[in-house]
Amino acid sequence: MALRVTHTTTYTYSNAVSVSHTEVHLAPRSDRTQTPIEHHLVVDPMPESLIARCDYFGNPVTHFSIHEPHETLVITSTSVVDRHVLEAVHPALTPSWEQVAQEVGKHDTEATFEALEFAYESPRVPLTPAFAAYAAPSFTPGRPLLEAGLDLCHRIFTDFKYDQRATTVTTPIDQVLQKRNGVCQDFAHVMIACMRSRGVPARYVSGYVRSARQFASGQASHAWVSAFCPGFGWLDFDPTNDLMPAGGHVTIAWGRDYSDVPPVQGVALGGGEQDISVDVEVVTQGS
Amino acid sequence: MRPHWSPLVDSLSAIGHGGLLGRWQEGRRLLHDNGVTYNVYGDPAATDRPWPLDPVPLVINAREWNGIETALRQRATLLNHILADLYGPRRLLRDDLLPPELIFRHDGFLRPCTGVAVPRGIYLHTYAADIARAPDGRWWVLADRTQAPSGAGYALENRLVSTRVLGDVFRSAQVRRLARFFEVYRETLRDLVPHHRENPRIVLLTPGPYNETYFEHAFLARYLGFTLVEGADLTVRENSVFLKTLGGLLPVDLIIRRQDDSFCDPVELREDSMLGVAGLLQAVRMGNVAVTNALGSGLVESAAPAAFLPHLCRHILGEELKMPTVATWWCGQPQALAHVLENLPKLVIKPAFPDHRHEPIFGARLSPRQLEKLVAEMRAFPADYVAQEQVALATVPVWDERQLQPRHFVLRVYLVAEGDSYAVMPGGLTRVTTSLDSLVVSMQHGGGSKDTWVLADQPAPEFSLLRPEAAAIEVNRATIDLPSRIADNLFWLGRYVERVEMVVRVARAILSRISQESDPLREAGIEAAYRVLAAAGHLGAEPASTAPSAPPERQVLAMIYDSASRGGLGWNLHQVRRVAWLLRDRISADAWQILNRFEQEFSTPAPAEPLRISAATSLLDHFIITLSAFSGLVMESMTRGHGWRFLDIGRRLERAIQLVDLVRYGLGYQPATDSGQLEVLLEIADSSLTYRSRYLTSMQENLVIDLLLLDEANPRSAAFQLARLREDIDQLPESVSLTHRPPEWRLAVRLLTAVQVAEAAELVRPDEHGHWVNLEKLVTRLAVELPLLSETLTRSYFDHAVAAPQLYAPESN
Repeated sequence: MALRVTHTTTYTYSNAVSVSHTEVHLAPRSDRTQTPIEHHLVVDPMPESLIARCDYFGNPVTHFSIHEPHETLVITSTSVVDRHVLEAVHPALTPSWEQVAQEVGKHDTEATFEALEFAYESPRVPLTPAFAAYAAPSFTPGRPLLEAGLDLCHRIFTDFKYDQRATTVTTPIDQVLQKRNGVCQDFAHVMIACMRSRGVPARYVSGYVRSARQFASGQASHAWVSAFCPGFGWLDFDPTNDLMPAGGHVTIAWGRDYSDVPPVQGVALGGGEQDISVDVEVVTQGS
Repeated sequence: MRPHWSPLVDSLSAIGHGGLLGRWQEGRRLLHDNGVTYNVYGDPAATDRPWPLDPVPLVINAREWNGIETALRQRATLLNHILADLYGPRRLLRDDLLPPELIFRHDGFLRPCTGVAVPRGIYLHTYAADIARAPDGRWWVLADRTQAPSGAGYALENRLVSTRVLGDVFRSAQVRRLARFFEVYRETLRDLVPHHRENPRIVLLTPGPYNETYFEHAFLARYLGFTLVEGADLTVRENSVFLKTLGGLLPVDLIIRRQDDSFCDPVELREDSMLGVAGLLQAVRMGNVAVTNALGSGLVESAAPAAFLPHLCRHILGEELKMPTVATWWCGQPQALAHVLENLPKLVIKPAFPDHRHEPIFGARLSPRQLEKLVAEMRAFPADYVAQEQVALATVPVWDERQLQPRHFVLRVYLVAEGDSYAVMPGGLTRVTTSLDSLVVSMQHGGGSKDTWVLADQPAPEFSLLRPEAAAIEVNRATIDLPSRIADNLFWLGRYVERVEMVVRVARAILSRISQESDPLREAGIEAAYRVLAAAGHLGAEPASTAPSAPPERQVLAMIYDSASRGGLGWNLHQVRRVAWLLRDRISADAWQILNRFEQEFSTPAPAEPLRISAATSLLDHFIITLSAFSGLVMESMTRGHGWRFLDIGRRLERAIQLVDLVRYGLGYQPATDSGQLEVLLEIADSSLTYRSRYLTSMQENLVIDLLLLDEANPRSAAFQLARLREDIDQLPESVSLTHRPPEWRLAVRLLTAVQVAEAAELVRPDEHGHWVNLEKLVTRLAVELPLLSETLTRSYFDHAVAAPQLYAPESN
């Protein structure tokens, strides 16, 4: 099934910005769950230079700079991806979470070595004992990883309240854990911290989810979690919607946490007050 | 005592206590006059303090030095290999030769730098090691400096001073020279320039004057002939780096960074860095600019990786590590943790990751309770800790102005990449502890420093290869481009120096009259000068009209001695010093010496009451001479480029403003009360002599006005300043076009014409109320439009400072 995403970010400044340098993670990456078909990035005003490359984690990233004074910056990204439906994994067949932690610790395959990097604390995901404690009921001894993950995902979905006013992009996640509310980014970080504090590699996935009434985060970009399971690869969990992403999600990029893959980041010279508005639309291609 | 010390000790004994004291006073004067300082963080009162240097050098013989050189070359090579692997294939991690956790959790591991090609495959173009000698004579490495090793400039400055003070001893001791090291450094940098451009532009990037070693940044930039820049002076256009200068953007080929790598680019590295250059890493990635040391090289600077060097050395270089690191354990490994916990009282505990900042913990100093808490923490998060053995340090003699005392020391040795290996500076920065009990060697904590004498095997043939060190310090300004920020500071230096001079002249005119016998002429003079001082705001916040209670002399004395009052002499002088400090790399050493003496004179407390006026008068007399020497030297030591031009524009503009104020407040727009009033104006404007040579003793308002405002031949007239301003502005980059003259050019021309067409006789023609309207019109116009000219110049040339960078607000979801 093909999905078309249109993501528009508009920055409006009270004074003109004289120079800006921007880096965006907006192009979908290719993996076993999806094949990107088409991607266009339109920047207004037109950048002086625009360079696309892959970042450290293999995500497509585009770097551009604008050297003419501008009071608004509009970044429009349009992508079409073909989502593949993978065969469902039976939870009981996955190795126990302890085995996963041990395998990754040994890192004697390319896959486990790559996963290792996602097993430690990262800038937005400190591993305080509170996360290990919250994870404990899901990570009972010998429990298969997927069972533990689904249980944790479900508990976060039930225990935490989705509230856009409760947090900002910079709210520390220990506070999220304490107050039990936040948005998809916060829930993803909490789940990552819980899994890592049990030695299971978990990464942050930035992307979109198809606008449908039953899913939260219809009008913005979305975030979820992917955990490493030897023999099964990376398994996705969406704690905001209590499910394993399938046909309705579009993956843009992954990293250790949000700070590795913000959709738009950069520096502007001047500008005064700034205002940002974001519009995201995900539809089934051809409908 | 080690045998190679004996010649030095014999010489010092021959010089004797008194001799050494005398020589050392000379040495300290040199350090002070050269402005050698070190900034101490967290000290609000002083942004910098004198560099502490001990007169007795550390002496190392040729054989011992050979061992040090070989060992450190090996270490630099090894660290380079490690960095190349960690930012490349990461085999060391895959094969567990280095624990992956140590690198993956390290905030110095800059992921965006992975796979970025570094010039000539070298990460560490410069490297320094802190080494210490144990009592048994063995050397140990205490720490590695791999980002932007500081201190080589201080080592050079120490050498300059110690050769001046102990020149005779130095010459007879066959001490190896430092200059070749800096030659190699310069050559290495030239080799790194991308595309091997001829006449590459090399800049030294400093975090700014508030950095602890800013003195050194300025000193090295000047010594090596590179431009000293801050992040805001650079910009990235089309993935190349440019220097913002008055003449436009000039391409930059190589950046010597003196700030941590994570601060170098807010787009890809630390987003909260205001010191960096946005887009720099992309420019590096494209191969358009080289950065030294390579971005990312801070990764191997901390203690934890050092624990693994011995076997990494065997694995990578196939040889034993020649100089051991102080025994180090990373507690992330179970057997290391067990060992550390058993031996805690003998160990120093440090954070394994630089972002977990805490001071080293000395196990021996902990109470049983503290120890228990530490053990619990370490068991819970073992990977966060590194333990090091405490080394017993050998001592060196330090002179405390009475006798020689033993102190512990640490030597920092500098290396620079040369071909496939490294050149080692024969010498280094020796730092000593404050007491024998202390084991912490730190300039931040008040330690001292020493010159380091490495002895040659035989009379050194390298003598002939070298220029004398004093000659090497010559500045080559012709090749230095002028960043807009520097032009801005030079402009303000000119303005403040001129303002200080005016305040001094007015104050002196008042004080010298007060100590004369009383007569009406005297009173009129005091009154006029006092009005000028008060109206121009130099007596502090309160205008004179509201504070008539205190007699003038009291207020003037307060203004001289009270540095706190805004607008007073001390305050203005502080501004001069502040701006000059921002320009440290642009101002000649001689001019610095003068500025430092100023400060000394003004820090002397006010004398007792009866002597105050005469003391203050002679202080001011002295001041005018020193001030002229300062501005003379600054002006004379600069080539006539844009830098000099902006300094001159600042001076001319300020002097014109002051002269207009002098007429406006000192005379007003009606006839003078008596000749005393006119005399004081001439005296303040330093034009008495000219006046008398023309008109003898007859005092007339129109003649005085002509001389102070209209006479283009009088270097103290407003007309003269305006003529010079026009000439200067004519030469500025924006003025080149004949069809589109910039606003500052038009303003300067209009003002000059206004005084050129004015006639003194017309200016003093009274209206029906006896009021000189024409003079008032001219003076008011000048008083309004001269500051306008300053603003216009600022807008045209220094506008970069107005816009502060900000980050994009991230979107939330």
